[in-house]
Amino acid sequence: MHRFGPILLLFLWGALGSASSAPAPSFESDIALLLTANCAACHSTQVKTSGFSVANLEAVITGGSKHGRAVVPGHPEQSPLILALRGEIAPKMPLGGELPADEIARIEEWIRGLPPEAASTNDSEWRWPYEKPVKHEPPVVKNAAWVRNPIDAFIAAKLDEEGLTPAPPASKRTLARRVYLDLIGLPPTPDEVEAFLTDESLDAYSKLVDKLLDDARYGERWGRHWLDLARYGETSGLEGDGAIGNAWRYRDWVIRAFNSDMPYDEFVIQQIAGGDEHSKTRNNYVPDQQGYIPTGFLRTAPWDRSNLVAAEVRQNYLSEVTTSTASIFLGLTVGCARCHDHKYDPIPQKDFYRLQAFFNAIQVEDRQGAIDLPEVPYEDETFAAKAEERIKQYEERLKDGPETKELDELEEQLLVKLKVAKAKKAEGEELTNKDLRLEISRDGQTTFTKAEQRKHARLREDADRTQDPEENQSLEAYEAELLAKLKAAYAAGQADPAARFDALTVASVRSEVQAQYSADSFFTEEEKDRHTKLSGALDVYGRRLERWKPVVLAVRNVPGPPSGPPLAPTHLLIRGDYRQPGEAVEAGFPSAITGNSEPAEMITDRYRQFPTRGLRMTLARWIAGPDNPLTARVMVNRIWQHHFGEGIVRTPSDFGKNGERPTHPELLDWLAVEFVEQGWSIKTMHRLMLLSNTYRQAAENPLRTAEEADPDNRLLSRYQRRRLEAEVIRDGILHASGRLNPEMYGPSIFPPLPDDLADLARYGRTGGLMWEPNETEQDARRRSVYVFQRRSLPLPMLASFDALPFAESCPRRSATTTPLQALSMMNGYLVHEESQHLAERIHREAAGDGNDQIERAFEIVLNRPPTRGEAEKFAAFPGGLASICRVLFNSNEFLYVE
Amino acid sequence: MRNQQQQQRRSFSRRQFLSESYLGLGGLALIDMLLADSASAAPSLDHPLAVKPQHRPAKAKNCIFLFMEGGVSQMDTFEYKPVLQKLAGQQMPLQGRTIGEINTFAAAPNRIIPPYWPFQQHGQSGRWMSDLLPELAGTVDDMAFIHGIKVDNNNHGPAVYHTLTGSQFPGSASIGAWVTYGLGSENQDLPGFIVLGDRRGATIGGANVWGNGFLPAAYQGTLFRNGDTPIVDLNRRQGISEAEQRSELDLLRWFNEKHADERSDTSELEARIASYELAFRMQVEAPELVDLAGETEATRNLYGLDDPDSEHFGRQCLLARRMVERGVRFVKVLHGAGSDRWDDHGNIEGRLPKHCKEVDKPVAGLLKDLKSRGLLDETLVVWASEMGRTPFDNNLVTPTPGRDHNQYGLVVWMAGGDVKAGATFGETDELSVRAANEEIPVRDVHATILHLLGLDQNRLNYLHAGRFKKLTDTGGRVIDEIVV
Repeated sequence: MHRFGPILLLFLWGALGSASSAPAPSFESDIALLLTANCAACHSTQVKTSGFSVANLEAVITGGSKHGRAVVPGHPEQSPLILALRGEIAPKMPLGGELPADEIARIEEWIRGLPPEAASTNDSEWRWPYEKPVKHEPPVVKNAAWVRNPIDAFIAAKLDEEGLTPAPPASKRTLARRVYLDLIGLPPTPDEVEAFLTDESLDAYSKLVDKLLDDARYGERWGRHWLDLARYGETSGLEGDGAIGNAWRYRDWVIRAFNSDMPYDEFVIQQIAGGDEHSKTRNNYVPDQQGYIPTGFLRTAPWDRSNLVAAEVRQNYLSEVTTSTASIFLGLTVGCARCHDHKYDPIPQKDFYRLQAFFNAIQVEDRQGAIDLPEVPYEDETFAAKAEERIKQYEERLKDGPETKELDELEEQLLVKLKVAKAKKAEGEELTNKDLRLEISRDGQTTFTKAEQRKHARLREDADRTQDPEENQSLEAYEAELLAKLKAAYAAGQADPAARFDALTVASVRSEVQAQYSADSFFTEEEKDRHTKLSGALDVYGRRLERWKPVVLAVRNVPGPPSGPPLAPTHLLIRGDYRQPGEAVEAGFPSAITGNSEPAEMITDRYRQFPTRGLRMTLARWIAGPDNPLTARVMVNRIWQHHFGEGIVRTPSDFGKNGERPTHPELLDWLAVEFVEQGWSIKTMHRLMLLSNTYRQAAENPLRTAEEADPDNRLLSRYQRRRLEAEVIRDGILHASGRLNPEMYGPSIFPPLPDDLADLARYGRTGGLMWEPNETEQDARRRSVYVFQRRSLPLPMLASFDALPFAESCPRRSATTTPLQALSMMNGYLVHEESQHLAERIHREAAGDGNDQIERAFEIVLNRPPTRGEAEKFAAFPGGLASICRVLFNSNEFLYVE
Repeated sequence: MRNQQQQQRRSFSRRQFLSESYLGLGGLALIDMLLADSASAAPSLDHPLAVKPQHRPAKAKNCIFLFMEGGVSQMDTFEYKPVLQKLAGQQMPLQGRTIGEINTFAAAPNRIIPPYWPFQQHGQSGRWMSDLLPELAGTVDDMAFIHGIKVDNNNHGPAVYHTLTGSQFPGSASIGAWVTYGLGSENQDLPGFIVLGDRRGATIGGANVWGNGFLPAAYQGTLFRNGDTPIVDLNRRQGISEAEQRSELDLLRWFNEKHADERSDTSELEARIASYELAFRMQVEAPELVDLAGETEATRNLYGLDDPDSEHFGRQCLLARRMVERGVRFVKVLHGAGSDRWDDHGNIEGRLPKHCKEVDKPVAGLLKDLKSRGLLDETLVVWASEMGRTPFDNNLVTPTPGRDHNQYGLVVWMAGGDVKAGATFGETDELSVRAANEEIPVRDVHATILHLLGLDQNRLNYLHAGRFKKLTDTGGRVIDEIVV
């Protein structure tokens, strides 16, 4: 072992002893020496053990093949370099030796002082994401017998390099549970497990995979993965957090697209450019209306039109779609270039705005805005019939249903009461404008002429609408004149002073009910509550009616010439500030990929009849084109991520320098090329990955060294055990109790809030209803993908397990462990109720003794019978069957897949 | 980043963890010790709230963040602007320079509304305070003020997000989430980040205001409900006794341990086993926490619990003290909701005194109580709103005028920890419209809060979607002028 001389050590010691005066460590002056002396024997440019070298700063930061990036700037405690030196990850470095604590401390201090951008190595070689993937021959490996398809060859080759062997295959039971959860997001039933276990044919597993890929629940499971990326939500997320329209039609489109195995290139094109197509040959071409539905992708992000500065709202919108489109489809963090050139990747600021220019023609459809949302008929006939029936039902209910009748009656009663009360209160009071306004609008009054009535109505309308002081003054002046006339008429006995209250209407009743601060209301609390409840119920019917209508949340293009003005040019914005336009730019593709900053050649109709059409289509076709180096890689990596727990690139929306290096670059490229060659079929990729032996490994590799040598499972030396997502947990519980409602599609549902939050689901006199009752009781038990995505009110149980209505694209969920999860699983209504239902189900299905029932409970919840020891322990448990079910739902075995 | 976090998990010894963390007295204290032992650890997903060291030594360990929703009128409370009296009723003079978004309001017909309440000087610092806040006026020497803070948006929703999460759009991590991510929390039996809502309803931004954004869910704030069940699903279901639940948990524990024993790489599984014990403890701790029976009458009165107007917020402030006392890292106390908030567009003369009265005594009581218990040193108290208000009203006719939104006029004050008591930084022009000299962006205030809690805004980062996300985004300036 090389060691520093005593003098240098003394110097370092001294430096540490007086931290305030010590120079901060620098790589060149001391860290490099230290690392070279201790590590270079195995980690140099020549001998790059595990791909790691300490030859220069870049290499140290970049790290090796085992742990990825070795240094996390600012975070020594997270840096594998330090963890290895301290022996916190195996093997401890230097092998067989140990660095003195002060030297480790020195390296830690250096890391602590590194700015985040140090993570970006100056690697000018970081070109691979921008170059077309090449399909390498799968390597020839020692363990050829294990290789079932090319995936295995790439995986085995890396394992060979490290002297590792893959884990043995998982048992059929484990594999069945794994692949059900993976593909349809629900565990198998005991019968389904049994069927798979008894099918001894060689292709039993591949038949199972095919069956599950054909199962409609597959789309619900994999659609949800996509909705995470698409930052799917159903409310604005901002001022008031109101519903933004029928976003659920986009959700259903995604589910259907996955189920029909829509080729991914088409899937991309429709979301970016649905309805933006035209014909090369036809004049007056009308785009396919159905194309508007997928453009919900460009519309589901948080949206706020209430800001006073319209230009800023617009720019924020354009920035969001530009950033999301690039990260979701291309794995490029273009958003970093909104204000300045990208610090790590070759994305100049100008490229952000060149990309943004493709969205320049978008007209944002908005329920609150001046623009009506488009109506697009339902294509699915069964669904269309159902929607039609519901619409009719709610229209009738609103028109003369029981609530309407009751409310009408109540309002009539209250109106009478109000008239009497107001008349009484007015006794002896000076007449005011309010009295005038009543009398002049009263049917049958004779004091004022028709002309006076008209003039007054007009002035009042103007003043109310404009709130303008001049308008108000004219109204006041005229009202003074009329009031004098009224007083004279009353004085002369020409009009009945009590009659004016006949002009009160139900509108007055409503405003009296809603008045918030009136301490001495004319109505009792009971009357107001009853009114609020009835009108609240009608309000809910109204909302449901709107949701069943075939209206879609979408974007379209502004008309442009000849109907309207041409598009304004897009400008680069200095520091991203909408008030500081810089040079004008034209729509173009990222120069890092094309190698130039030329404007893109637009796809247009032959006669340029529709000059605002084709921008988005041009971009979409380029992204989804077979020559795009990133699109296929990014998507196969996402598919891989969901099957294996982590992507080959573990930062799935960032393929740039700041992201993680691919663990298996050749495999990634092989898959990407294969994906395109297979017609962008996602289901084909599932089949390929799921049928590999890599996927079929057990979660435990009996070789001790496997876990030590491959702690993060970067080499795929075993299946990665992981916690299920929130939705899978909720759906799995309902599935086990037998109460999951399999109904697909349509407006979203509202599973009950915990009792403690019930006030959010009550009708209040202030604010809207945050959480609504369901249309039917069974709706509450539909799959989680149908839960209403209110951005400001996530369902607490789902949120505690890391599932939120996302406001930003979420490429990878966290999997945290907190006591709040335990609380919701121990005490929440869901587990509690469904445990009881499950117990009832078991009583029905396993009528025998307690042992049979415990066995049945295990088979339903965990897909296996209990061991003898477990059976005995559970049989001795004093609690009832529901209690046992609760324990099983809370068990790690249920909450994890392996 | 997750990978490093995963590695960190393995530093726990499974056997040690299991044998020491349960069964027997002080089992949970041992968990705490184990968690505290890992103080140098990165926030791991299994022990996300393990205590982590400050980046720099700072006195304040915990933070109580008082948030007044709606936009507090600064010239009726903390900013003495006598010129407004002289210009009463006149059109707001257009200044030579633009005044940004509120230009629209200022250019439209309007009239200047002078403050209805007199101002006096108070304390050693001689700070001017409106008579609306007589109790807080008595504690000005403990507070440091920042005037003329600019928020990015002139609307409540986005402005609330901006002041509480650093971005005007939903989806970013809130300050409380950042702080618990950076420091963990001392008390593992309670959430590290607690939110005390207003009884009148939900805050405008909803859960996003205390959300974890891109940080792991463990850092999201836990909303404490009013009443005996402060946390959602805290109580056992009706019909299940504590003994029954305990026996279920024992069986669960037996089953989970057996499961873990058959597996390697089990730190995540063990963390979940421990989380059930923590939850079980929380069922005891949380109700005890919100039970004020043990507080003396003097203390209760100090917070204004004896007055129906200040009773509710007083209770929230007293709860906040009890929380930091028990080692909760970050407590966010919200005041105002729905239409009953500080959004005084009209009838400011009637509305503002009501809201001031609701909070004046409770907040002053909080400062005094923390101080007398020696907690003010280690607790940073922050007062904020999402914006200030304009000196004028665009409504020229109403007999009960109010003020409009002013994203340039936010006032924030702080107390405790290393806050320079009695200091003032920043100043608005004589009409209280915007900063007279240097405009202070919200991110400077955020940088200062982090600094006062011993966190470095740059080192407190999280790699998300290709960027190292920070609370202060592009970075703010620590306002040294209000730091000791």
